[in-house]
Amino acid sequence: MRDVLRISVPLTIWLASFSAVYGLQGLVCSPRWGAAGLGLAAGRVALVAAAVAAVALQAVLLLGLRGPRLAPASGFVRGVSLALAVVALVATAWTLLPVATTSLCL
Amino acid sequence: MNALRRHRLLTRIWSSEPGWKGWFTTVNHSDLGRMFLFVAVLFFMIGGILAMLIRAQLATPRSAFLGPDVYNQVFTMHGTIMMFLFAIPLFEGIAVYLLPKLLGTRDLAFPRLTAYGFWCYVLGGSLLLFSLVAGIAPDSGWFMYPPLSSRAASPGINTDFWLLGITFVEISAICAAVEITVTVLRYRAPGMSLSRMPIFAWYALVTAVMILTGFPPLILGSILLELERAFDMPFFVTERGGDSLLWQHLFWLFGHPEVYIIFLPAAGVISTILPVMARTTLLGYGWVVAAAVALGVLSFGLWVHHMFTTGIPHMGLAFFSAASTLVAVPTAVQVFAWIGTLWKGSPRLTLPMLWILAFFATFVIGGLTGVMVAVVPFNWQAHDTHFIVAHLHYVLVGGFVFPMLAALYYWMPHVTGRKRFFKLGETAFWLIAIGFHVTFLAVHWAGLLGQRRRIHTYDPGQGWEWINLIASIGGFVTAIGFALVVLDVVVNAAVAVRGSRNPWRAGTLDWAMPTPPAAYNFASLPLVASREPVHDDPDLPARLARGEGYLGDPARNRRESLIVDIATGEPAQLVVFPANTALPFVMAFVTGGIFLGMLLKAYWLVPLAALGVAALVARWVWSLGSTREEGPQAVGRGLALPLAAESPDPPGWWGSLFLLLANGTLFGSLLFGYAFLWTVAPGWPPAAYPEPGLEDALLLLGGVSLSVAGIRLADGALRRGSGAWIGLLLGLAGAGATGLAAATLLLGTSHDAHAYDATVWVVGGYVLFHAALTGGMTLFLGARAAAGYVTGRRLGEARILRLWTDYTAAVALLGLGAAWLPGLAM
Amino acid sequence: MWIAATTPLSLAGCEERLSAVHPAGPAAADIATLWWVMLAGATAIFLFVMALLVLAFRRGPAPVSAAAETRRERFWIMGLGLGFTFPVLAALLAYGLVVGERLHTRPGPEVVTVRAEGRQWAWSFAYADAPGRMTEGILHIPAGRQVDVAITSADVIHSFWVPRLAGKLDAIPGHVNVLRIEAWAPGDYAGVSAEYNGTAYLGHGFTVRAHDAAGWATFLAGDAP
Repeated sequence: MRDVLRISVPLTIWLASFSAVYGLQGLVCSPRWGAAGLGLAAGRVALVAAAVAAVALQAVLLLGLRGPRLAPASGFVRGVSLALAVVALVATAWTLLPVATTSLCL
Repeated sequence: MNALRRHRLLTRIWSSEPGWKGWFTTVNHSDLGRMFLFVAVLFFMIGGILAMLIRAQLATPRSAFLGPDVYNQVFTMHGTIMMFLFAIPLFEGIAVYLLPKLLGTRDLAFPRLTAYGFWCYVLGGSLLLFSLVAGIAPDSGWFMYPPLSSRAASPGINTDFWLLGITFVEISAICAAVEITVTVLRYRAPGMSLSRMPIFAWYALVTAVMILTGFPPLILGSILLELERAFDMPFFVTERGGDSLLWQHLFWLFGHPEVYIIFLPAAGVISTILPVMARTTLLGYGWVVAAAVALGVLSFGLWVHHMFTTGIPHMGLAFFSAASTLVAVPTAVQVFAWIGTLWKGSPRLTLPMLWILAFFATFVIGGLTGVMVAVVPFNWQAHDTHFIVAHLHYVLVGGFVFPMLAALYYWMPHVTGRKRFFKLGETAFWLIAIGFHVTFLAVHWAGLLGQRRRIHTYDPGQGWEWINLIASIGGFVTAIGFALVVLDVVVNAAVAVRGSRNPWRAGTLDWAMPTPPAAYNFASLPLVASREPVHDDPDLPARLARGEGYLGDPARNRRESLIVDIATGEPAQLVVFPANTALPFVMAFVTGGIFLGMLLKAYWLVPLAALGVAALVARWVWSLGSTREEGPQAVGRGLALPLAAESPDPPGWWGSLFLLLANGTLFGSLLFGYAFLWTVAPGWPPAAYPEPGLEDALLLLGGVSLSVAGIRLADGALRRGSGAWIGLLLGLAGAGATGLAAATLLLGTSHDAHAYDATVWVVGGYVLFHAALTGGMTLFLGARAAAGYVTGRRLGEARILRLWTDYTAAVALLGLGAAWLPGLAM
Repeated sequence: MWIAATTPLSLAGCEERLSAVHPAGPAAADIATLWWVMLAGATAIFLFVMALLVLAFRRGPAPVSAAAETRRERFWIMGLGLGFTFPVLAALLAYGLVVGERLHTRPGPEVVTVRAEGRQWAWSFAYADAPGRMTEGILHIPAGRQVDVAITSADVIHSFWVPRLAGKLDAIPGHVNVLRIEAWAPGDYAGVSAEYNGTAYLGHGFTVRAHDAAGWATFLAGDAP
């Protein structure tokens, strides 16, 4: 089971953070955000912070998977899971880049 | 014992009943796999005939062949049949037939579940087929957008056929997915570690987990839309707090992964066949595994790219545009790994290879246009035009049908035990491959010239006539090609000569058996030391037939196989499979009562059928296990293993785990829907939120704590050998209190006043259902313990109940908490 | 004036009536350029992959060794699978996002605002500059000026699509989506609903009539355009 988790967790966390940031963006652009007394600038800050946190989480995960504490049963599982952790890190950075580059609620 | 005598004994144990009766009582995976494939191909032919009707209608401008009302049913059913009744079941059929053989085991994890899934598929599909024949087929397009599919715009029964029929069919997808997941993880030949699994098993595993997490949003959406249509619960009605966009999110949360659920098995087939045809091994096995997993997960982050024109802010679109381009990377890794494999070996131009080449030529184009429509501005022009029609056919036909034809010609000698004689297949290949591109290449251009999808005809003078005429001619050529393929299969199955055992010189275990395969697959189970055991030891099939592997002695006279450790493939348990029974068929039939009751608005039938299903489930589960302690049993080669029923994690525990994964995804989608409506629906907030009293909160917290503690007490008592009564009674009380808390919430809310109330009803109903389920399971466990099935050595069923109890506790806290939250915040 | 406005009508029926690749406004032009660039790139990539595939059949068996396997993995997977696709996709994504940013509406002083409401199976239009003025089936706009169309629906989901002017945007009940369109020259431009909406979907179209400055003033003044 640990080997299966090693393989599946990094990208699952990507999916969770990706969906969470998308949800946050929806919230920022909804009437609820303004009703709570928050502006678009605060929304941008929250989104960037969330994206940075997601990338940092993936980086930590990658370091953890390289370490001895979560050693897998075989070199094969180690190789595949590390490759997928790198994929998850790149995917997080790549898919959340728009928080800094595109207009927020247009 | 010689090989022939072993064969006779094993055949008597494993084979289905003879004659027509065998169809309804078989639980054998080879039989059910063939039945799945047969029915799926039947639906492919029906869908293909509908496609020909479409092409006939569009061949000339202002055609009066089909009116809009018929045409709308035809294109809706074409998409629906091809997606739900052909592609997914075909994958299920291939996996059901092949997986145990590739993995070196004798059957799938839950043989009766395979049969139940098959019958749900047949019965659900029959519902849709009936609607088509009766002229009352669904007509809102295969993605059923409300409000067009809501009661106001579609008052007829057509939409209900879709929602109920498809949900019925989805049961089979979920069953098969649970089955495949547990089988790949635990039912393998001894020694088959994760790194030695045949590559198709990896793809099947990824696909199955995707079905478990991809289908629940659609099932939820269908339930909500049917509730809206039947009981006026306004989930998608703007004026009453709903939002039609919620459906689109739920549908595409399913719909995009669905595309990859269809593509990945095909990629698995290519990764299996292509190296054999190139007389080499797959280049970068580990990379391909990683790419398949990456593709599987990344595909869940693409759903909004079907909604680029719905007015979502640019940043939201940009996330999904980025993810949609990124998903091309693992696809490219696989494509280049395959081409690299061809360079590495010496490829032969056999018929399966020809189909793989057709796959490359077609799928690469589909992939490239896919990247184009992932670019937001271009999508705004191409969306809902024939450009998309062409793109999706390039992806689905190129990326699924062509590889499946490769699989057909690759494994046909396995299924029939014969070799092809006539050259019909080659003729069919050229007709289909050329016909397909003639049909769809120019259709891209018609889309750019403004031809919308789903229009039933068009005016001349817009530059579309020639394109459509050529497309129609190509379509008919393609259809003739497919007819030839069917003819080819029939001819070869009937009159061709017997073939050799391993005609392609493949190295995987599916060829380590006589063909056509025996009911038991392997007379004894191999010990695997590499990815290609047959290449390691060409004598392996004969040695297995001589009983030199595991479980070569059928003396215990029951269906036995081995369960292995997930990572290493070390044998861990001896599993005993159930024998032939009509129970799955009967249960599928009674399950159909639930759907029929909803469809015909005979609502009294629904609870009646549900009770029937519950009784049958109890009957089903009761027949498992034994009251007798067996202890470790000899499995051959000097090894003794405990029975699965005497292990703490029997197959049922693993099955429950993955069923709960699907269930949890459904619940998660429900909470997503709630949050979505709360954030963006124009008609919020509702007039009032229910505010929980202190007693409600205490009821919930007390119920959850009691049930969670109760099952643990019972578990501990069983382990010590004392009575589990106190624990089970506590658990029962806990389930009762949890259910009461949910019921109080329902009673305080009107189900149809506002989307908020309707959502609360579904959340509360979900919790209530699970509380009742856990309560029922607790009673059942008590009966099992009293009858001596559950003891300190046979704790599996208590562990299964613990899993369900914990799950119910979690959804009760989350669900009721979420329902009360706005009221508390006020 | 009357003749000038109706001449394009008689041209309706020629091939580019609904064509996304015969742009008549800046948004459609941007997208058409994007399409041609992508088509060229996709064609090149397709030919490249097919060439690799054909070449595989023209070679003898390759050397078998662990080192050769590693070398092959590096070339095919790291090199082509990752090294080739990443830059191509990154460039395309950036291009798409830049165009998308430009096409998204931004408020400006010169922008004309109109409202489009779809229903089964008709379109009606209202004008911020002429309150109370409603037209059925024909949307009047000034040529050469940016126009924001606020799109909504009275019943099921429709989609507002004038292929020669811009991409499409959905009309969703309860939501108002804003699409920026602009026509370079006066004339009539065909529009259709591009989200399947039931029996009469085929005929659910409208016309966008772009006026010159004088014609627009006449229209706003309430005279027959």
